[in-house]
Parts: sequence; C-alpha cells; structure tokens
Amino acid sequence: MPESSSRVSPVAVSRTSTLVTHTGTWKYIRPVYRDLVAPCMEACPVGIDIEGYLNLLREGRLEDACDLLARENPMPAVTGRVCHHPCEVACNRRAYDEAVAVHAIERHLGDALLEQMPVAGAPRRPGSVAVVGSGPAGLACAYHLVRLGYSVTVFEAAAEPGGMLRLGIPAYRLPRSVLDRQIRWILGHGVALECGVRVGTDLPWPALWDRFDAVFLGLGAQKGRDLGVPGESLEGVWRGLDFLRSVNSGKRPELGRRVVVVGGGNTAMDCARTALRLGAEVTVLYRRTRAEMPAIEDEVQDAEREGVQFLFLAAPLRLVSEDGRVRAIECQRMRLGDADSSGRRAPVPIEGDRFTLDADAVLSAVGELADLEALPDDIARLPAGIVAGAFGETSRAAIFAGGDATRQPRTVADALGAGKRAAIGIDRYLRMVHGEPDRFPAAESLRYGPGGNLSATRWRGDDPIPRTAPANQVVRYQDLDLSYFVRQPRRAEARRGGGEGLRDFAEVNLGFDRETMFEEARRCFNCGVCNRCDVCLVLCPDLAIARTYSGYRLLLEYCKGCGICAAECPRGAITMIREEL
Amino acid sequence: MKKVMVGNHAVSWGARLARVEVISAYPITPQTQVVEALSEMCADGRLAARFIKVESEHSAMAACIGASAAGARAFTATSSQGLALMHEMLHWAANGRHPVVLANINRSLAPGWNIWTDQSDSLAQRDTGWIQLYCETNQEVLDTTIMAFKLAERLDLPVMLVLDAFYLSHTAEPVEIPDQDAVDAFLPPRQARYRLDVGDPRAFGGLVRPDAYMEMRWYLNEALRQAEVVYEEVEAEWARASGRRYGAVEAYRTDGAEVVLVTSGTMTSTARFVVDRLRERGEPVGVVKVKMFRPFPSETLRRVLHGVDRVAVLDRNLSPGRGGIFAEELRAALYAGDGFLRPAVFGYIVGLGGRDVTPRVLEEIVARTMREETPRREDLWVGVSP
Repeated sequence: MPESSSRVSPVAVSRTSTLVTHTGTWKYIRPVYRDLVAPCMEACPVGIDIEGYLNLLREGRLEDACDLLARENPMPAVTGRVCHHPCEVACNRRAYDEAVAVHAIERHLGDALLEQMPVAGAPRRPGSVAVVGSGPAGLACAYHLVRLGYSVTVFEAAAEPGGMLRLGIPAYRLPRSVLDRQIRWILGHGVALECGVRVGTDLPWPALWDRFDAVFLGLGAQKGRDLGVPGESLEGVWRGLDFLRSVNSGKRPELGRRVVVVGGGNTAMDCARTALRLGAEVTVLYRRTRAEMPAIEDEVQDAEREGVQFLFLAAPLRLVSEDGRVRAIECQRMRLGDADSSGRRAPVPIEGDRFTLDADAVLSAVGELADLEALPDDIARLPAGIVAGAFGETSRAAIFAGGDATRQPRTVADALGAGKRAAIGIDRYLRMVHGEPDRFPAAESLRYGPGGNLSATRWRGDDPIPRTAPANQVVRYQDLDLSYFVRQPRRAEARRGGGEGLRDFAEVNLGFDRETMFEEARRCFNCGVCNRCDVCLVLCPDLAIARTYSGYRLLLEYCKGCGICAAECPRGAITMIREEL
Repeated sequence: MKKVMVGNHAVSWGARLARVEVISAYPITPQTQVVEALSEMCADGRLAARFIKVESEHSAMAACIGASAAGARAFTATSSQGLALMHEMLHWAANGRHPVVLANINRSLAPGWNIWTDQSDSLAQRDTGWIQLYCETNQEVLDTTIMAFKLAERLDLPVMLVLDAFYLSHTAEPVEIPDQDAVDAFLPPRQARYRLDVGDPRAFGGLVRPDAYMEMRWYLNEALRQAEVVYEEVEAEWARASGRRYGAVEAYRTDGAEVVLVTSGTMTSTARFVVDRLRERGEPVGVVKVKMFRPFPSETLRRVLHGVDRVAVLDRNLSPGRGGIFAEELRAALYAGDGFLRPAVFGYIVGLGGRDVTPRVLEEIVARTMREETPRREDLWVGVSP
C-alpha cells in the first residue's frame, strides 16, 4: 500500500490495518465446529464408524479405513456380503439420489483386511472368558475381548465354527473360503477355539462356571418353526433351516420338481434360491405382499432374476399327501387388513377363497426358535429368548448373553452388535471384580447417536480420528445444504450370471473393484463431520475463518455471528450457539 | 492477421488481447455477442479469465469492482437498460478509482421498446466520473478496447468505450488483429496502486467525512482533466505498434471550412462521405469527430473550430427539454474560452432510436445551416413528422 504524503488519499482506503477493529464484539450467537453423527452410524446394529472410514477413503487412506472398520466389526468380509445394511436405508443420500453402497465398500475393505493375517498378542489383562457358540455373536464377543486384552476360549458344538453363517447362509452369498478366512483372521487375534464340544453335555455348565471368570452365551436360534398346519410330518416337508443345513454341509437332498417355500424372510429367499440350484421349480408363498417382505431387497431381486416365482397374499391351510408324501399344498387367499403390532398390515383370510398348489416338497421358513432347554434354570428367559441387559448381562452374575438366543432382531449385524455390547459388559464386570475404580461411562455416551449401538472405540477411548466438540446428535436430511452436492448414481456391483439357469453355488455378487470402491466412497456426504471442504472459509464475509492443520479456526474477534457458515455448511458440521454474556 | 468481424467481436478480441482477468456480464441485445464470444474463449482456454455469471448488470459491475479492487484487470459490456441499472455502481467504480473497462453498445431507452442505436444511454452517465470514448469503425473498436485498459490503469479511472448498435455491433468489417506480443509489450500486466490484500487488510470505500470528501472529488476531477493528454500519449504509443491513431478529437477537411459538422460514432463515416462530395463541388465544409466525450475536450475543440463560421452538431441523443447533448456541451465549451472566434452552433437532433442518417440527410443539414443566419431554436429536429 503506497503511503501518500498528502493529507487525503485519492482512494477511500483506511490508513491502518482493519485488523485493529474487532468487528465481532456485537454478536449474540456464534458458530462452533461440532462433529455430529451420520444417520448410517446410528442405524448400524454393529456400531461402526461408517462416516469415519468413508472419509478416510475419500483421503485415499485405505489401511486406516480398514483399521477403523475392524475396530468395531470383526467380520466385514462377511457383513459386506450378507448384512441387510440398514445403514443404506438411513443414508441421507437416499433422499437425494441413491444411498451410498456402504455394504459393497465394507466388503471390499473386509477382503483387503483378510490379505494379511493378524499376529496375536499375549493377554494383557487378568481374567479368562468362555464364549459358548461360534456364530457371529460369539465370535464378535471373543474378538472384542481379546482386543481388550483378555484370554478367551470359544466352545462350538458343531465340527466347524461359524454357527448360522456356515449352516444357514448359502455359499453363493457367502463363499466358504471367505467365511473360513474371516474366522481364521478372528482367531488369529488370539482367540482359542474348541469345536465338537457341546456345553451342557460334553462340558457341564458348573464346570464352565468354575473354569472361567465370565461366560458369554451366544447360543443362536437354530430350531426352525413349524408351519402349524396338518400334514407337517409328511415326507417332502422340511423345516427350511434343516434343509439349508443339509445342503450347506454338502448334501444334495432330493426335492422333486415343484418346490414351495413358505415365508417372506431371508431364510425363505435362501431356501428358494438353494432349491433352484438343486434343479427345482420354486414358488415362494407369502401371506402378505411384496412390500411387507422382511427379506433384503437385493435378495428378493436376485431370487426373481434367477427365476423364483412369488405367490403373495396366500397362506398354507393343509398339506395334501399321496402315499405318505406331500403332493400339494392347500392355500387360503388373504387380503391386507389393519396394521398389527409390527406396524405392517396384517393378512386377513378371504372367506371361501381357497386354492391348491402342486408341490413335491414344501420348505417352511416362517421363523426360528432358540433351543434353551439345556440351559441352567438360574438364567432367566422369556419365550423370545434369554433376558439380557444393555451390556448383555443375564440374571446370573458373570454370565452374559447376546445374539439370536436373546430377544433382538435375528440378523448377523445385530448378533455382532450384541457380541460387542457383551464384551464391553464383561470388561466392565471384570474390572469391577478386580477392584478398579468405577470410571465407567453410561451406555448412552458410548452409542453412535441416541439409538445406535455401542462403540468399542469410544469404550476404549482411543479414537484415531480427531473429533471437534463431538455431540451425539444425528444429522438429518434437512440439516444438509444440498446445493454443494452433485447428483451421481450409486455404483452397481458386478454380478455373475443373470436370468435363469444358475445351478451352482459359486458367489453371485462379485462386489467392487478398488477404483469403483473409492469412487463410491466419495459419494458420501460425510453428514455432520467436517471434511475440510472450505465452503465456510470461502463464504465467511468477515474472513473470520482460518485454516489449521486439521481443520479450521474461528477468529471470533471478527466473527459477527451472521451464521452464513453454519447455514452453508454442506454437512451440518457447524452449529450456532448463543454467546455467553 | 486480418479478419472480417462484427463490432461486438472486435470488442471481444480487444478484451482477449488485453488479457482481461475477470469478466462479469449480463446479456442484453445488442451486446450479447460480446460476452458470448468471451465466454467461449474462457471455456476453451484461449483466454485465462474468470467469467462470473450474475443476475443483473448492477451485480456485473459490482463484481468487476471487486475484481478490480483485488488487483485484477476487469471487463464488462452492456447496453441501454443494463447500463441504466448499473448507474449506482458506475459512481462506485469511478469514486473508488477502479480501472474497470466497459463496452457500451448504444441503444435507446424504453419505452417504447427499441433496440436500435441511440446515444442517450451512455450520455446519461456523463456525471459518473467515467472516461467515455465513441468509436466509428470496428478497427477503432478493437484498438480502443486495448487502449482503454492502458488509459484506465494509468489514471485509476474506469473507461467506457461506446459503439453504435447494429451499425457497428452487428456489421462485419475487415479488422486487423494485432499480434499478442505487440499488445503484451504495449499493455503489461496490471500493477494496482491500491488493492485488497489479505496480508495488509484495509477498508475500502468506508466513511469519508466532509473534511476529506471534497479533496477526494478534487482528485477525481484532476485525474479526468489529465485524461485527454494521457489518452493522446497512450494512442501515440499504440500508433508506434499498430500504425493507427484516432485522436480524442479529429478534424477532417476543416481547412477553410465555413460549415463544420460535429459528429460522433458511425455518423462520422457518413459525414466524411458527404464532405468529400460537397468539397468536390467546391463547398467549404468539414467534419470534426469527437471521440472523447468525457472528459470533454473543450480546449481542443475551441482550437479546431477557431475561425469556423457555423457548426452543425449531429446529436443522436436527447436531453429532453434541453436538446442534443454534444451541442449543449460544445456551446458551454465555446462560451468558456477566450481569444478565439466563436462560431454559431446549430444543434441538430437526428437518428434517434436507430433511424437512418443518410448522406441526403446530412446534405440537407449542411444546406440548412448555410441558408439560415442563426439557429431558430437550440434543438433543430431533422426529419420529424409527428
């Protein structure tokens, strides 16, 4: 700036720097950078920092993203394939164009993690824990406990670990090689496994109580529910789970040509597509409509694509026999009535409207039950399962439970979340037993969002990502400024085959290649979390925002509290608060 | 390189060769082609400028002022209603001493809705503190665009170059395009004397009290008073590079002239043609072309009109209730000086709203000027049949 010797400058310019004028002294509200919670994270029953790892991927940090994911989820290669991904239902991007394909990204990271087997560390904490059942709940509990430093032994009644993952889920959705490697990877962290040991018979409960300081019960729900109609014991009538277990352990049962599957959930889809692969013509019978089906939408679409027929608004009345074998299924036509307790419209019979469907085999997939008869009486249970608290605690001290054997949604993700909750509960319990001072935060502060699952990272207090004044509040669609985003279709995963004729059990969904995975990750809005997009910096009319190494700093002496930064932040990471007067 | 182009594209080429850094404009007939071509140049990389789309001419000028304050070479173009909408910002540009260049395509003001040429739009901005330069040919348009930046940046004053709607804007003529190297040598990157600098933050355009405001106006007026001389210097330098010069005022065949037509814009070419024909018949007629309207070249005009008996001023504009604006300005200039013979001034209103001013019209004006002893009124309307 040339200093003029004249009294008056030709240009109306201040003689001194304007920095001396603290223009921000009149404001009554001011912005704060405050990291909130993305809705996907609250929706995730596992409790994964989804936004966090997607943002790391945006920065190209693949290894860090894998690490952040594995802190919460012990089996991303599995959930990336079979999870019902409620994260994508909650995704704010869904209302804008299409949800981010979180599951496909997770799967890619999960596979990347399996490329390197972990090195087990020695137990660092006193206390040994038994885990009964090697399904997702049990393995998750074991995994989180060894990461917390405990010695853990998993007991599995079957010859191989995995529980429902192995016996219930068909290989075309979850290849056994992936499952085996995922379990090896979990065990590689230092989890001991004993297969072929049925607790209660091979190893009595009292012996288990004596040998271990704490026990987790991840018993699962492996008893298929009956249809409850006459003719159930006929030859050719299967419980869907038994059928899947048979095929998944290598058998190829004779079903005949026409197979009817009863039910609309994921077990029904698994039964239908498995029967299709055995050469049958498959019809799914469901008493509500397609809209009410609890199965994952992708699974329904794949089943349709592969040639499964659907018959909606029909329920079985009785099974018709011929020479002791099922020949047909007599059905009742239904209509949708008022909403029931599940919020779905209840099916109501249409009087007198019946029909008969030929069937060489009938597979019932109308739900599963936990088999808790062998469990000691002092562990309280209800018809829906073992009674367990927020940290998986049961009515008996030192005994924890989770997964399908407790009352919770029967999904892999919910089982993994329950295993983690119990691991945190056991850690808390063992620390109390060992006389550590009570520093334990309430479950609420460990959740991602008020309704989310617990975070192992928050429990350990070792978050690798710097957080700015985090608040446990979920960012909704209306909190975003969409004008900064560009519409972009969700990437589709490569899929094998197409149309009818899939007759083998090779994996159908081939997932993302790395480039597509990175592209899809960049579609994430990063709801609620600053990703240094510079919108606030550029738009601040008072130049009251400065860059720092990890984000931004507010120059409050110049900030007038206009709120433009908060209004314009594309992802709701800036909140206006009242000035303290 | 020679290229046949319309006047609007001569503006675009001039701005491109001047390496403008920021363009902000809003389209209006007949200006649209100017910024269309520039936006294409920006889009395909021929011009490394930031093109800022805006929702109005007021914002276009505001954006140019901001860019100019930040030290950039800023340009816009408009016409008629658009220029009128810019009015407030035109003051701001001049008072803030921002050397923005604006091309205005002369167009009449509505209503009645009329898109044809008329100088009333630019002349209505005469008190805003902008230098105004009126062009006669497409070549002059291109050269003047380049020179305008140099003039503006030497004086820290905004410059408006003006061309007739359609007669220039949409009429194609061969235009010599100077080499970029020659333009670069003539017009180096802008060195702003006063500029926004985040490293040395200052307030621009803040409160100025009565004890200083008047001095600032004095500075502005002084800068404008120098503008004619500085323009001649700039043009002399450009003439060395291009071989072309125009002059703030040009006298054409005025030696011994008893009647002189005072013109601006494209009417000048017609006047030259008429004068050539009348001179062949031995009639003592000449032309004085006024290129620079602000600052008004009073001294020069007094000199070139010294000894002329009668002056016929052709005004394609109207200050309602007053008459032609060039005539009015010239009368004021002639009354101010001393030591010269003051001619009679006939102020003719011609060609409003794009009405054609043909050689026949000019011949009638010359004849009428010779025939009548003194003007019957200050505004002599030509060809009006109400």
